Amino acid sequence: MSNLDLSKISLRPFKLSDVDDFLLWAGDDQVTQNLRWKTCGSREEALAFIRDVCIPHPWRRSICLDDRSIGFVSVYPWSGDDRCKADIGYAVAGDYWGQGIATKAVKMAVPQVFNDLSHLVRLQAFTSPQNKASQRVLEKAGFLKEGLLRKYTYFKGNIKDSIVFSFLSTDEFPHDD
Amino acid sequence: MEATTASSKPDAIDLSQLCLSEPVAVDLTQLSLRPLGLSDLDDLMVWTSDEKVANFCSREPYTSKDQGIDFIENAAASFLWRRAICLKDRAIGCITLSSYADVDKAREKSAELGYVLGSNYWGKGIVTEAVKQAIKAAFIEFPYLDRVEALVDVENLGSQRVLEKAGFQREGLLRKYLVRKGKSRDTFMFSVLLSDLHPQL
Repeated sequence: MSNLDLSKISLRPFKLSDVDDFLLWAGDDQVTQNLRWKTCGSREEALAFIRDVCIPHPWRRSICLDDRSIGFVSVYPWSGDDRCKADIGYAVAGDYWGQGIATKAVKMAVPQVFNDLSHLVRLQAFTSPQNKASQRVLEKAGFLKEGLLRKYTYFKGNIKDSIVFSFLSTDEFPHDD
Repeated sequence: MEATTASSKPDAIDLSQLCLSEPVAVDLTQLSLRPLGLSDLDDLMVWTSDEKVANFCSREPYTSKDQGIDFIENAAASFLWRRAICLKDRAIGCITLSSYADVDKAREKSAELGYVLGSNYWGKGIVTEAVKQAIKAAFIEFPYLDRVEALVDVENLGSQRVLEKAGFQREGLLRKYLVRKGKSRDTFMFSVLLSDLHPQL
């Protein structure tokens, strides 16, 4: 049961001034274990990461609680003929797990992404079969689970299975519950 | 307005069309895979200019031998592995493996299978046999590979049957995953793992 008021959740671009809040979750192995990100080890690393990766990124937003960064949503479009596809990823600070924040953030992001990326037809997400929480986020946000891709990709040094989900530009955009 | 006269002469009969309607059994022991060479050019033009064949390909049918020569001489470099599918050493199609290593290092242990066969030879188990041979060869020649996958259009039932018979697993339907002829297409993902063939690995 969530006792957090989800109307306090917002998405916005990252700012350098987010660095200390950013380090709280990007410096946490629990949060980064399911991301391709390396855990941030210092304030300097966090600053460089925000400046060199988050800010120039094609579509990356900070998930904010009362305008303080507690996570991110990222969408990375493919290039060339494949620019009709994009990959979505997200994470939330450990203290805020289990309250529907990631689901809310993804629901907010989906219509924005299709609006901002004009060529986009297919938004896809890949999760670990073990990451049930992330699978629930996608299902609640209206993504369709399409299949289990076996030994699909290297992830932090090991070959892993991936579950693939998708949301199409023609799917019905999620409503706030 | 031109006057038309009924003619008692029948239209000329296209003999190759007659042959198409006669099912010809194929001796699969006469099937082989070998590299494509320039001497295969005329045979290659048969399937590359065929609209039925090009229907599920990303390319348009070839209209000139220059395109055929280019494919034989230059396209080989873009594949991890490419072989002509041959019947009695005559090329009737082509089978390829593409590496993901250049596109995404995280996927360097995967390769994508592709194949094409002249439409005269469809429905005789040829590609199934070629795929089985190709997979065996791939996992031997590229021992770092864990996974060979194939992406098949939702409407390409013949190709889906080939992969099932060749031992691939259908993993899911990826909606609007591939662009073909300017449209996003629903696409089945199939795969075979090294460990499917050798369970101890």
